[in-house]
Amino acid sequence: MRIVYGLWLFYIKLIIPSLVVSIALSCLMTAASHFLVGIGVSYIFLTPTFHYLTYELRNPNEYYFYYNIGLSKFILWTNTLVISTIIGMLFMLI
Amino acid sequence: MSELHVDSIRKRFGDKQILNDIFISCKPGQIIALLGRNGSGKSTLLKIIFGSLSADNKFIKVDDRKIDSLYQKRKLIHYLAQDNFLPNHVKIKNIIRCFCDTKNAALIMGNDLIIPFLQKKVNQLSGGEKRIMEILLVVHSNVKYVLLDEPFNGSSPLHIEIIKELIKEHSKNKGFIITDHDYKNVLDISSTVILMDSGNTRVIKEFSELIDYGYLPATSERTQHP
Repeated sequence: MRIVYGLWLFYIKLIIPSLVVSIALSCLMTAASHFLVGIGVSYIFLTPTFHYLTYELRNPNEYYFYYNIGLSKFILWTNTLVISTIIGMLFMLI
Repeated sequence: MSELHVDSIRKRFGDKQILNDIFISCKPGQIIALLGRNGSGKSTLLKIIFGSLSADNKFIKVDDRKIDSLYQKRKLIHYLAQDNFLPNHVKIKNIIRCFCDTKNAALIMGNDLIIPFLQKKVNQLSGGEKRIMEILLVVHSNVKYVLLDEPFNGSSPLHIEIIKELIKEHSKNKGFIITDHDYKNVLDISSTVILMDSGNTRVIKEFSELIDYGYLPATSERTQHP
């Protein structure tokens, strides 16, 4: 259960910036695509980008917290890609 | 008998062989001081044992069970990194709940040093406060072995004494490997002293050996141990 909570703590830092920028981008692209589809597509690509910027470049030391609870970098990246894809797809299907 | 057995560790960075067939073992009840000059590979060795850094060759087993992944080690080995590593955006009480089991979480939350911070986020703490928080988390965690990379760095003298007492208390049922340049405090609590030199390890029996092998200047004050 603590591992799931750890995954949540890791991911929550990515949600707000990804969502805000996705909404902004989608507003700019309303002429080209449906608003929610735009958010979904942007979210799928932006969350891994924010993961890279936040954890790989800005705070790489935070990985040690997650390593200590058993979450490797591979698991954390997989979590980001899978959850972002699911959330992005949900936006696209609404 | 439980034992952390680390053998045949080799690591090279470019042309430099940092670790050369390193062997080290640790049992619950032991506090191993890992000393060495800057760049001697102390932190590299701890990271390899922990599993966050790959080695050119390694063999690590706990209780006759070979272990490779961080997931396998989560209930066996915890590691205090050299720099602050707590997620900045999370409240201290949530960090404790995530890191420790219920019993140890209650112990930490009841600690006089931590009570004032429980409702704060990590980014509201000073560097020293973060450090004491990290040490409490790692030392209280429900694992058999704890690797501490510079635990005294950035801590006040009062906190250093508290940390030393905490390590001694928990060493009754855990094994510790500690590296820190504050050699007096490390020697004060250690049961075994290992010096890393030119990619190799030497077990130190006499204080004078630390001077002879060039780790300490000849004018260094002798401590009680080794």
